[in-house]
Amino acid sequence: MALMARETRVREGAVAHDIDGVEVPAGAHCLAGDAFVMRGVDDLAFAYRPGEGITIEGLPDADPRHVQLWLHGTIYAAVAALNGLFPLHASAVAHEGRVYAFTGPTGAGKSTLVAALAKAGFAQFCDDTLLLELAADGPPTCLPGHKRLKLWPEGAALAGVRTGELVADDYAKHYVDPPAGVIAEPLPLAELIFLETGDGCAFVPISGGERIERLQDDHYTAQLWLAARRAARADRFAELAALASRITMRRFARPFDPARFAEGVAAAADHILGAERR
Amino acid sequence: MSGRLAKDAARFVETRIDDEAVVMNLDSGDFFSLQGTARAVWELLDGTRDRDGVVADLAERYGAPREAIAADVDAFLAELGESGLLVSD
Repeated sequence: MALMARETRVREGAVAHDIDGVEVPAGAHCLAGDAFVMRGVDDLAFAYRPGEGITIEGLPDADPRHVQLWLHGTIYAAVAALNGLFPLHASAVAHEGRVYAFTGPTGAGKSTLVAALAKAGFAQFCDDTLLLELAADGPPTCLPGHKRLKLWPEGAALAGVRTGELVADDYAKHYVDPPAGVIAEPLPLAELIFLETGDGCAFVPISGGERIERLQDDHYTAQLWLAARRAARADRFAELAALASRITMRRFARPFDPARFAEGVAAAADHILGAERR
Repeated sequence: MSGRLAKDAARFVETRIDDEAVVMNLDSGDFFSLQGTARAVWELLDGTRDRDGVVADLAERYGAPREAIAADVDAFLAELGESGLLVSD
């Protein structure tokens, strides 16, 4: 946590248009070695290098809400990856000192489910990005969330939570204060749960090589991480395998139907509450 | 592949997770998971046996006729050969 606080310090300054001679076009980001550059489609640009913090160009004219979205999203994941952490695209709650993280592609319902679980009394741990740190042994440690929970109005209505202010004028998600509070301490990961669609609700364990494959497939963050670490394939594989072997993974199928949303929430809550018995 | 069969150690890395051997081909970056007979064949490819030796070993281990084992072994060896992971002396 101290590491991320230190490394995400921000200062204004010029951001190079290239990284190691490779031009970074507007709307793209690039990692090379230990350097990261991202150029927005507007005049905003970000650069990061370990030990130097984050440099932002175009700050005076920028919408501060856009700046925060970038800082808390892609930039944060890049900083984490360049510092040896594993960013995953996941939202999570905590129960009895352990973290239950839900992952899936954009639109899979991670934040909405976590909001509904928060409404049911579970403390929120993170939204959208989960940072893992490989521990000496046992499950990886989850670093507490840095982002506020964001939901589309439909998601908030489904979850039964009250919406706060709009995230940005051109991004119609709203901030939500989780009803059961937010955890601010690092905690071990209990389970990584992959959200899927099914006719009914079922939790199915994921085993063997699929555990490695699932981590490899983690959407935008895996690519970021791969580029960030520039690890040789063998190193990357060894690290993924080490992480995968210490994470309990399940797929959670539930109906992707607003009318049956409550079934999924109840199944998830039961699963978490029953984890001790398993 | 008529000689003694081995894996080309420079071209892959492997790990064990649950009861599977997971192998990454370093040339392609692809990885695959081996269970059951395929995993047993993979482990027998240590440069001390030829194809018939692998079949004989598995037939004994599983108490199955050699002909029944041979088809699976040949198919798996062909796949490994195509991926460049198999070497023979």
